Amino acid sequence: MSVKELPRKEANVLNGHEGAVLAARFNSDGNYCLSCGKDRTIRLWNPHRGIHIKTYKAHGREVRDVHVTPDNSKLCSCGGDRQIFFWDVSTGRVIRKFRGHDGEVNAVKFNEYASVVVSAGYDRSLRAWDCRSHSTEPIQIIDSFLDTVMSVCLTKTEIIGGSVDGTVRTFDIRIGREISDDLGQPVNCISMSNDGNCILASCLDSTLRLLDRSTGELLQEYKGHTCKSYKMDCCLTNNDAHVIGGSEDGSIFFWDLVDASVVSKFRAHSSVVTSVSYHPKDNCMITSSVDGTVRVWKQ
Amino acid sequence: MDSDEEDYVFFGKPIEREEEITNRRKKAAAEASGNLRSLPPWKQEVRDEEGRRRFHGAFTGGFSAGYFNTVGTKEGWAPQSFTSSRKNRAEVKQQSIFNFLDEDEKTELESQNLGTSSQFDTFGFTAAEYARKQANKEQKQRPSAIPGPVPDELILPASESIGVKLLLKMGWRRGRAIKDLHASSLYDARREARKAFLAFASEDTKASHPTDFEPVEGEPENFLAQPADDDAQSSQSLPVFVINPKQDLHGLGYDPFKHAPEFREKKRSRLSNDKQHGYRKAISIKDSLFGSKSGKAASGFGIGALEEFDAEDEDIYAAGYDFEETVIEEDEEPSRLSVESKKKAVRKDQGVLRGFKVATVSDYQLERFDPPIIPKDFVPHHKFPGPLETLKKLDVPSPPEVPPPDDNNLKLLIEGVATLVARCGKLFEDLSRKKNQSNPLFSFLSGGNGHDYYDRKLWEEHQKRGDQAKLSLDGKLSPSVQKMTAENRGKLLGEKPLERSSRETTSSSVASGDFVQLQFNLSDTFKKPESFNELPEVAKPFKDDPAKQERFEQFLKEKYEGGLRSMGSSAASNMSEAARAHERLDFEAAAEAIEKGKRGKESLISEQPFDFLATGMQFTSGVQEQVKDTHAENLMTKKMYPRREEFQWRPLPVLCKRFDLIDPFMGKPPPAPRMRSKIDSLLFMPDYVKGAKLEEDLVTNRDVPVAQTDAQKTIEDVAGKEIEVAAENVERPVDLYKAIFSDDSDEDVEDINTKKVEDQEKKIEVATTTLNRLIAGDFLESLGKELGLEVPPDMPYSTNNVSTPTQKETPNGENAILSPLEGRTFCAPKSVSGTSLNPGQETAQDGELAKNESIPGRSVRYSSKYPDGLSENISGKVNMEKIAQEDKKGKSSSRHQRNWSSSSSSEDERSRKQSRRHRYRSSDSYSDSASDHHDRYRSRSKGRRKKSSREKSSSSRKHSKHHKHRNRDSPSRSHQVSEREHSEARKEKRIRRD
Repeated sequence: MSVKELPRKEANVLNGHEGAVLAARFNSDGNYCLSCGKDRTIRLWNPHRGIHIKTYKAHGREVRDVHVTPDNSKLCSCGGDRQIFFWDVSTGRVIRKFRGHDGEVNAVKFNEYASVVVSAGYDRSLRAWDCRSHSTEPIQIIDSFLDTVMSVCLTKTEIIGGSVDGTVRTFDIRIGREISDDLGQPVNCISMSNDGNCILASCLDSTLRLLDRSTGELLQEYKGHTCKSYKMDCCLTNNDAHVIGGSEDGSIFFWDLVDASVVSKFRAHSSVVTSVSYHPKDNCMITSSVDGTVRVWKQ
Repeated sequence: MDSDEEDYVFFGKPIEREEEITNRRKKAAAEASGNLRSLPPWKQEVRDEEGRRRFHGAFTGGFSAGYFNTVGTKEGWAPQSFTSSRKNRAEVKQQSIFNFLDEDEKTELESQNLGTSSQFDTFGFTAAEYARKQANKEQKQRPSAIPGPVPDELILPASESIGVKLLLKMGWRRGRAIKDLHASSLYDARREARKAFLAFASEDTKASHPTDFEPVEGEPENFLAQPADDDAQSSQSLPVFVINPKQDLHGLGYDPFKHAPEFREKKRSRLSNDKQHGYRKAISIKDSLFGSKSGKAASGFGIGALEEFDAEDEDIYAAGYDFEETVIEEDEEPSRLSVESKKKAVRKDQGVLRGFKVATVSDYQLERFDPPIIPKDFVPHHKFPGPLETLKKLDVPSPPEVPPPDDNNLKLLIEGVATLVARCGKLFEDLSRKKNQSNPLFSFLSGGNGHDYYDRKLWEEHQKRGDQAKLSLDGKLSPSVQKMTAENRGKLLGEKPLERSSRETTSSSVASGDFVQLQFNLSDTFKKPESFNELPEVAKPFKDDPAKQERFEQFLKEKYEGGLRSMGSSAASNMSEAARAHERLDFEAAAEAIEKGKRGKESLISEQPFDFLATGMQFTSGVQEQVKDTHAENLMTKKMYPRREEFQWRPLPVLCKRFDLIDPFMGKPPPAPRMRSKIDSLLFMPDYVKGAKLEEDLVTNRDVPVAQTDAQKTIEDVAGKEIEVAAENVERPVDLYKAIFSDDSDEDVEDINTKKVEDQEKKIEVATTTLNRLIAGDFLESLGKELGLEVPPDMPYSTNNVSTPTQKETPNGENAILSPLEGRTFCAPKSVSGTSLNPGQETAQDGELAKNESIPGRSVRYSSKYPDGLSENISGKVNMEKIAQEDKKGKSSSRHQRNWSSSSSSEDERSRKQSRRHRYRSSDSYSDSASDHHDRYRSRSKGRRKKSSREKSSSSRKHSKHHKHRNRDSPSRSHQVSEREHSEARKEKRIRRD
């Protein structure tokens, strides 16, 4: 994919959040997106048309992360109120609340079948919550992290968490192993490559690191942006050719995956870019920022 | 949600109102206190602490015991719900009687055990034991100059038993009999009389005494003991145990005279004879054999006065006259006192059984051995070898260093086998030798080509493993543990490296007056003789300039041997000061590079992550200095990270269920809590040491250009060499198993050759990762698996071997066409038979291929790795599905796969081959993911399972293939090519037939 095809043109600006937007996520087919922020709301958008569809309000504190099931029927969100909310998308009601984290919850993800929600918390734990039963107790607590867990990723068989203790830990359910990759720097955010073989970890030393999941070796480091104190997302393009990351000065960086050169860089927001999310199929990207906007980028 | 209440966050537990809870309890307490006093006992009610009435009387329900008037368990009498034992067989409990006993019964049972309290421990065993232990403890605590126990502290008096104490209080003294004094005084009197008599008696009378033989041994000792402690001896309450030193050669406790006490007497008398030099007695054996019983004295002979029969005193006269005549031959030879003569005489006269003669030549001779001579360098300190039995071989002298065989394949094979043998033991070698008797490639095992090299490698591996064993405490440690050098350690710890090199650069440029200091510096540097040993293999960075190379070797020698540098070498004749300085710099850099490369080659993690950097660096050699600086501080962190550790983690069953996975711990007891100590990180330290190696390798690549800014060509040489070095030394057991055990004539000959270099690296990587995962146990297990399951019969090998040369000899048309294509050939069959491929992809590959060729070095790997690996994964999947369908049709497929020569050429086979090629390419980059796919497919559908497992094996076989046929220059290469062509020819034929 050439540089020209990168989504660098602003297609839409989604205004509505009052205060910082902390996360913006495409849904599984990329037709909609969700954003959440400090105004304690979750908003559902059609980013392609720039329309605000729905607002979900129930959180008592800021909402830090949101995720939607592959069938678009349920949402889960988490935030500063130490609870995970399990929403019905269409009605906008909270189906269940999972309490148990002893601190803020930083990230949340559904598993493949939307039967489990895994959350990562300030209390140094990953917790798995059962969406099928009515129990509100976690069905698994993973507390081997030494510091705040910032981000979580799920595969069909694994739970991967990135933590401020500098580790990316992979919990393989199938073989019952925990694989800990110590990066030596606080890990802010992890995201999987689309082929599932690599993990991109955003570290607080202003470096993105690409890890080979099978061997744990460091494949590449991406530098140039600033990321020192914010939780900022990073992701790969849907063809895994480029790495995208935000910067604290409001820029978006595109790196070439292989040679780690900054392919493109432009100023997208007036303030810290908190989140980037790439469309699963098209060359489209949404970014959210502390400036309160979510921007949609297309080529 | 509707209610606002739910939005609140609650902290802590709500405080319940106290009255509610305690109401009833209070009431109960009040009633209890009030009622108990006022009411008569039969009117009082028994209530529990909650105020409930639990005892109802026999007719009104008895006890309301336990749970709601049931038995004392929650379940009551209800039978336990049925649980299938199918899944939790292991958890079937063993029942014991304790399961059915109440607490009090249990305690009763347990209290049955009897023990001696130390107070009544008459023999003082416990106390003695205790005292000894105490002494031991003290011994340990106190630093002592003398190692080992100090006897005085160990031999402690046992605490007095109560009986002894009582006796002592009553006036008893140690050593006295517990009997009335009168008796003992009588005894004393008698004793005095004896003594007096003894004074009269001359020695010969004593000797001639007929009954003398009985207490021969006891007598002198008794007499000796008497004056020492007379009173103790006089009462004889306790037998004084005379500890006879063990003088015979029998085993401990063995009594040769157990059933023949007569011989004992005989022996004793002989001994006593030896003692009393003056005279000898010969007692006829008949006497002792048939005469009076040994313990008994002959009563008639006035024993009373002379003899000292301690216990038998009383029954001297009661014994009766059972004394038989004894003939005592007695001859005095006081003059002959010399030992020899006496010995001879003794031998002659004594110990001769009736009817036997003394042999003139006795073969009994006391043999004396000199104590072994302790070598001078012996250190009386035992070093425990590692747990592996292979370590025992460590002391085998090193075979001479042998240059590796020219054939690169063979070299790799040898090294691989050596690694394996070092790991698995001699058995493996034998096994593979047997297995590959007919295989010329493996002739080095049985002394053929490359045997020397194999020996050397094997020894090195052993050596390496020995080092590892010292470091690694458990088998899980990754195998690439190696010694830390001081520099290494310093780097890890963040110390500044010695200033040597920088100093030298300045000194060489400044003046020769600094030489003193330089030499001083040099003498301070570390000695590294061992690394020099292996240098010749690698260190030829100045091939093009022999003189320079020579100087370089000289330089290395001096560097590693330490000591002062001779002036001559550095002042290499006709060179200018500046040129020399420059050269010195070069040498330093090159030496460092070589050494690091050498260390790096032992590291298992492939150095790919840094390759692109390295290669990038290599070709922009102008800026190294600067880059070095920027990287300098990063090196520290990079060296350590990323660091991988693995732990056991137990997912809960529910989680597994929700993830639709099978619980890996199903039916197993909960795991032990995870180790979380510093030892943990220490144990795993080698992992990042490995990382460090990696890093250094990177540095190496970067440094090489520094050394040779002028000769870019040689840089490439070195780089290429290092790639090789890195590749060859990596252990890759899995492939090797395949290479050894699987048949050589696989069908995958049509493998892609273009990506050779990258392929092998990737495969090595894969192999190493698999290896890393294998802990020792798993390793063996997998060995078994390999042997048992996946090893196909090796019969096709010979046939193929025969057929290939002919193919080679007869260059048909295809051969001619194919040979110029060489690297690209893999595309050709695809285009010929490619049905399931979309053309776009193919072109993409071509493009990528061109890219590969255009960019030298390993940076290629990355360009190829990501984008097309991803896209091809998809196509690979598509193909797999296709195959799955086709598989149902063709059932004989497994045979096809094994045997190329099978004539049946079905449609599905070809396409499978093709897809395999596909898969192969897609799996090069992520072969792990490929296996993941396999697994997933296996678990999903039964139909696919067969295929996927087969594919797995085939792909791994392919790996082995590649290792073997790697080098284009090797002879086996042509073999491979011809094989491929052979297959292609066949394919062509098939197509034509179709």
